[in-house]
Amino acid sequence: MSAEPIIEVAGLHKWFGMLHVLSDISLEVEAREVICIIGRSGSGKSTLLRCINFLEEPSAGKITVDKLVVAAGGKGREHRRLVHNIRLKTGMVFQEFNLFPHMSVLENVLEGPVTVKRMDRAKAVEIAEMNLERVGLLFKKDEYPNRLSGGQKQRVAIARALAMEPKVMLFDEPTSALDPELIGEVLNVMKKLAEEGTTMLVVTHEMGFAREVADRVVVMAEGEMIEEGRPADVFNSPRDPRTQALIERYRSGGAK
Amino acid sequence: MASEIQKRPPSVIDPHQGMGEALVVLQQRNRLIQGLKVTGVWIGLIGLVTAGLLMLHISPAYMLQHYDVILQGAGTTIYVSLVSIAIATVLALFGSVARLSTNSIAQGVSGFYVSLIRGTPLLIQIYVIYLGLPQIGQQLSELGFPALGKLFILDAVPAGILALSLNYGAYMTEIFRAGLQSISYGQREAAIAIGMTPLQVMRRIILPQAIRIIIPDVGNQFIAMQKDSALVSVMGVWEITFIANRYARRDSKYMEMFIVGATAYWILTIISSWLQGWLEKRMAQAYER
Repeated sequence: MSAEPIIEVAGLHKWFGMLHVLSDISLEVEAREVICIIGRSGSGKSTLLRCINFLEEPSAGKITVDKLVVAAGGKGREHRRLVHNIRLKTGMVFQEFNLFPHMSVLENVLEGPVTVKRMDRAKAVEIAEMNLERVGLLFKKDEYPNRLSGGQKQRVAIARALAMEPKVMLFDEPTSALDPELIGEVLNVMKKLAEEGTTMLVVTHEMGFAREVADRVVVMAEGEMIEEGRPADVFNSPRDPRTQALIERYRSGGAK
Repeated sequence: MASEIQKRPPSVIDPHQGMGEALVVLQQRNRLIQGLKVTGVWIGLIGLVTAGLLMLHISPAYMLQHYDVILQGAGTTIYVSLVSIAIATVLALFGSVARLSTNSIAQGVSGFYVSLIRGTPLLIQIYVIYLGLPQIGQQLSELGFPALGKLFILDAVPAGILALSLNYGAYMTEIFRAGLQSISYGQREAAIAIGMTPLQVMRRIILPQAIRIIIPDVGNQFIAMQKDSALVSVMGVWEITFIANRYARRDSKYMEMFIVGATAYWILTIISSWLQGWLEKRMAQAYER
């Protein structure tokens, strides 16, 4: 692993009104690393992910993405420019896919390169088609999202994020809205990306995926990082009783 | 429909396909019969209304002689309505974005505009614009701003268009606001996450989706406006109602001219409804399964 982390979260706090959803989070992600963030619903894991690209404005702390440092609470044009640049360096995949329903699959993937990066259309099509190929959906490029299954929609959403050629991919519970039989195809695409060396931060309830693919697992509870380590260590010998309970629930096939 | 059945790829040949085809033919026939029945009811009702009108001691010959003057007025009615709905749409677009913005000036201005216009009758707005604006213009000229003052002295047609645009702009601001709000927050987030600016999000993601939701309502507003444009006859705009009124008074043929005028409005709105339906179908393209 290289010395310089590609993402650095330092002293991050997030308040929703009087609710302290993230408390003093610090996390470093190295290039090509895959980190899975697990924890019960409401533990703050999605908020942590959303703070990294400022979909949620952090209340305190500092986010660094690829040497770009943005402190919480900034205002004005300079802050907006930094946030914009951070978003260009991060690709995000949402639980609810959020494909643009009025655009075809290809147009969905083209939208970022053409509108945001002002890329030449021919070159953008090349990149878009390459990324649709990566998720195995090039043959659907002229369909509209309405005609895709949930798993296919999520794979297109992954291609849409990849087309911006981000330094890091952020996945916010990418399989939680899917029917059980469609989860596998999305996880397989993510596994392939991991093998290709994509830096990934994945909030997930899929323990099997975390165990198999992650380089490191981060466990969250009540807005705090309670445990962090290699998957084998976290899953086989969890230190915190809350982690033990979490893993026990999944072992017994329990709910979230 | 029959050709569509043949277009199916041979790979999906179904041994019971004949049953499906017979069912489709049956459904088509039932729809046709239903349509014919409804048309029959319409014709019956039109006959009934005509019979009632003939009891009014009217002169059908006079109506036939004068329908062409109404047609001339219809041109003005269409022109005033089209220009007004276009301007109202632009006003509503800005109005709704302003109502949803966090900027206090934008919020205040748009809220005031909608409240004032929706809280007062269109007829009074027309009088104030037609009779009141020239007074302001005169005052401004006397105060030493003749160029500015001239802007306030409007001819009847521009004044009518101004009144209708302002009025419908306010109602449509609310329609547009509801349309914009109906687009899920996830759409905005997905667009922001790939680095779009707020303007790009609005132009590329939110508006194209909202327009599909707004179109039927804009169509309804346009149909309503064609009839509300009758009110600008009080300014002396030569549209359907004004001309009908004029001939009615001159020849004491009130019922005749008002019936011809009403028929003209009705035909206009029927055509508009057709256009509206066609547009809605086109906009639904991407959402077909």
